[in-house]
Amino acid sequence: MLALSNPLVNRFSVAQKWATEFSQSRRRRATEFLLGAVLLLLPFASSDSFFIDRFGRYFIWAIFAISVDLMWGYGGMLTFGHAAFFGSGGYLVAIFTTRAGWFLPIPLWLALLLTLCVVAAFAYLLAELVFRGRMPLRGIEFAVITLALAYLLEQYARAGGEITGGQNGILFEDKLEIFNLDLHRGRGFYALAGISLLIIYLVSRSFVNSRSGLVTRGIRGSEDRIELLGYNVPKLKVGLFVMVSVIAGFAGSLFYLHDGIVSPSAVGVTASTQVLLWVALGGRGTLIGPIVGTITLQHLTATLSGTLLDTWLLIIGVLLIAVVMIFPSGIMGYLGKGSAK
Amino acid sequence: MRKLRARVGLLAIVALGFGLVSCGSDGGTTDTVAVTEETTAAPEETTAAPEVTTEPIKIGVVADLTGPFTLYGTSLARSAELAVDEINAAGGILGRQVELIIEDIATDVAITTDKARKLVESDMVDVVIGPIGSDASDAVFKTVAQDGKTLTIYPETYEGGKCDALFFSTGAVPAQQIRPMLPILQKEYGPKVLLFGADYVWPRRSFEIAKPIIKEIGGEVVGEVYLPLIADDFTELVKAVRTSKPDYIFTLYPAIWGAALKALTDAGVMKGVGVGTTFLGDPDLAGIGAAAAGEYTALPFFTSAKGDGVAAFLSAYSAKFGADQIPSGGESMGAYNAINLYKLAVEAAGSTDDAAVAKAMVGLSFISPTGKVTMEASHHLRQTIQLVRVNDKGVYEHVQSFTDQDSEEGCSL
Repeated sequence: MLALSNPLVNRFSVAQKWATEFSQSRRRRATEFLLGAVLLLLPFASSDSFFIDRFGRYFIWAIFAISVDLMWGYGGMLTFGHAAFFGSGGYLVAIFTTRAGWFLPIPLWLALLLTLCVVAAFAYLLAELVFRGRMPLRGIEFAVITLALAYLLEQYARAGGEITGGQNGILFEDKLEIFNLDLHRGRGFYALAGISLLIIYLVSRSFVNSRSGLVTRGIRGSEDRIELLGYNVPKLKVGLFVMVSVIAGFAGSLFYLHDGIVSPSAVGVTASTQVLLWVALGGRGTLIGPIVGTITLQHLTATLSGTLLDTWLLIIGVLLIAVVMIFPSGIMGYLGKGSAK
Repeated sequence: MRKLRARVGLLAIVALGFGLVSCGSDGGTTDTVAVTEETTAAPEETTAAPEVTTEPIKIGVVADLTGPFTLYGTSLARSAELAVDEINAAGGILGRQVELIIEDIATDVAITTDKARKLVESDMVDVVIGPIGSDASDAVFKTVAQDGKTLTIYPETYEGGKCDALFFSTGAVPAQQIRPMLPILQKEYGPKVLLFGADYVWPRRSFEIAKPIIKEIGGEVVGEVYLPLIADDFTELVKAVRTSKPDYIFTLYPAIWGAALKALTDAGVMKGVGVGTTFLGDPDLAGIGAAAAGEYTALPFFTSAKGDGVAAFLSAYSAKFGADQIPSGGESMGAYNAINLYKLAVEAAGSTDDAAVAKAMVGLSFISPTGKVTMEASHHLRQTIQLVRVNDKGVYEHVQSFTDQDSEEGCSL
C-alpha cells in the first residue's frame, strides 16, 4: 500500500514493530530473572560481609552504566565525559555536608536533594547551550564537548583549593543511615544499592518502551527523519540529557558517600571512558547488558588485581579485545540477537 | 493497567526481598564482630592459648603496582616482601609466621578504598602498609585507621600533618629534609631562593615549613610559583626566574621536573642557579641524567647512601628481584622500616591488639640499613636523611648523612 513507502504514515507501524519486538524478547526477560535471582540469593550464599558489600558497589556503578546506555545506546549520543556528573554527585554532597560558611553544612538528606537539583540545573543549562544554541552540536562534536567538560572539571577539582580539597579531595563525615538502620556497609548497603538499581532499571525500561523512548531510538537511527516527522528533537535531547545526568549524579553521590572519599579522578576523563567499556562489553542499547558488563568487569578487576599482581591488566585487556571481536554488539547484544532481529 | 499492576507487584516483591536481606544483616555482622573480639581478647586473658598463637600474623600492603606510580609502588611492595622474608627466616613474630597480602591499587583512589577495606574486613589483617600517593593515603587513613580501627603505617615521603592513634608514618616529612639541605645550598649558591612546586598539598605545606627555616638561616624567598601537576607550559616559571634572579630554586615538582628543567635551561636562565629537591630518587634521576648536574636531593635512601646495612640491603634486593633492580628513594626504606618496627612493637606488646601495638610502637628504635630510626610520640619517624648531589655524569654522589633528624610534627595523642 501507499503507507509502506511514506515515512509520515509509516511512523506508527515502525513504532509498533519495535514495541512488539522488544516485548517478545524472551531471552532478555530470562536474563532479567536469572540475574535478579542470583543477585537476590547472593547475600545468603556468602558469610563474607565485605564480599557482599563489594557487589553493592558494582550495583551503583551499574546505575551509572545504565545512564550512559540511555544516552549512548538509545539516544545514539556518545559521551566521553559522563563521570563529570557521576563525580559531581559525590563532590556536591561532600561540599554540602562538610564545608562551613554561608548556609553550609546541611544535613545529608537535604544535601542529596540539593545535589540532584544542582546537577539537573547544570545539565539543563549545558544541554540548552549544546543542543539548542546557535550551532547545535551532534555526533563527534558533542562527544568532544563532553570530553572537555570532564577534563575541565577534573582540573578545577585539583585546583579548587578549600572548596574541593585540591589533589587530595574531600573526606566524608556522614554515613548512609536511615532511622538507625545501617545502610553504609555489608548487607544493608547491598540492599540499598540493589533497590536503587532495580528502580532505576525499571524506570529506564519503561522509558525506552514509552513513546518518547521510541522517538529517542529514532534519533539514534536518523535525527533528520525524526525532525521531519514533526518531533522537537532538541527538546527531546535536552530532556534525555537532564535525565541521564541526574541518574549519574544520584549514583555518584551514593558511591562516594559509601567510599568515604571523593577526589579529582572521580569527575575525570579516565572514569568517563571506563564506563563506556562496561556498556560496550555488556551490550549497548540493552539496559540489562550494562549491568552484566559492569559487574563482570569490575569483579574480574577486583579479584585478579589481588592475585595476579603483574599480569592482571594484560589479561583483562586481552579479554576485552577478544569479547569485542567475537561479540561486537556486546554480551547481551549477542544473546538477544536471535529474538530481537 | 494490568501490566502496570503486575510490574508494581514485582517491584514490591523484589524490594521486600532486598529489605529482608538488610534485616538479616544485623545478626550476621554482630556474629563476626564477636568472633574477632574473642580472638583478640584471648591472648590477654590467658597467655597459654596454643591454637591462637600458631596462626600467622597478617600484614596487608596496598601498593601502586600499575599506573603512574608503578615504579614507587613496586619498590614499596618488594621492600615489604624482603622484610617479611627476613623475619620469617628468623622465626617470625612471637613465634608466629608472617603472611603478607599484597593488593594492587593501580594509582586510583576508588580502587584504594576497595582494597583497603578488603584487607581490613575480609582478610582481617593486623596492619596495613602503604600506599604512595597523598590522595590514596587519605583514603587509607580514613578506611583503615578511622573507620576500620586497624593500625596503618604510611611509608612514603609526605607533607606531614596526619594524626590518629592508629596512624604511623615512616616516610620523611618536610622539616627533616629541608632543615639540613637548605644551609648547604645557600652556602654553595647564595641566599636568594625561588620556591617552585606542583599545585597540591605536599608542595604547599612543604614550602610553608621551609619559609621560617629560610628566614632563620638568613636567606630570602624571592618568588613562589605553582603550576599544575602536569603543566604543558612553563612560561610563568621562566619569567619568574628571569625577573627574580634567584641563587637557587627549591623545587617540589615530582611528575615532570625534567620537562620544567629543560624549559628553564633552553631559556638560558639556569646559569649559576642551583637546584634542591626532596623527591628525586635514583630511578627518577635516571630519566633526567646529566641535565640535572649540581642538583641536591634529600631523602631517607639512595643507592649511594652511606650506612652499615646499605650494601647488604641492596644485594638482598637484587638477589631476590633481579640483578638490575634497585629500590627507589623513600618508600622502600619506609616499608622496610615499617615492618621491622611493627615486629618490635608486637613483641613489646605481647599481642597484635591494635591499641596495644600502637602504644608500644612509640619510642621504639630499630637499626635500619641507613642507621638508627626512632618512632616519635607524634607517630612520625626520627631518622637518618641522606643528602646527595648529581655529578657531571648524571649520577648521585653522597654528600652527607644527617642522623637522628627530628620530624618536627606536632601531632599529640
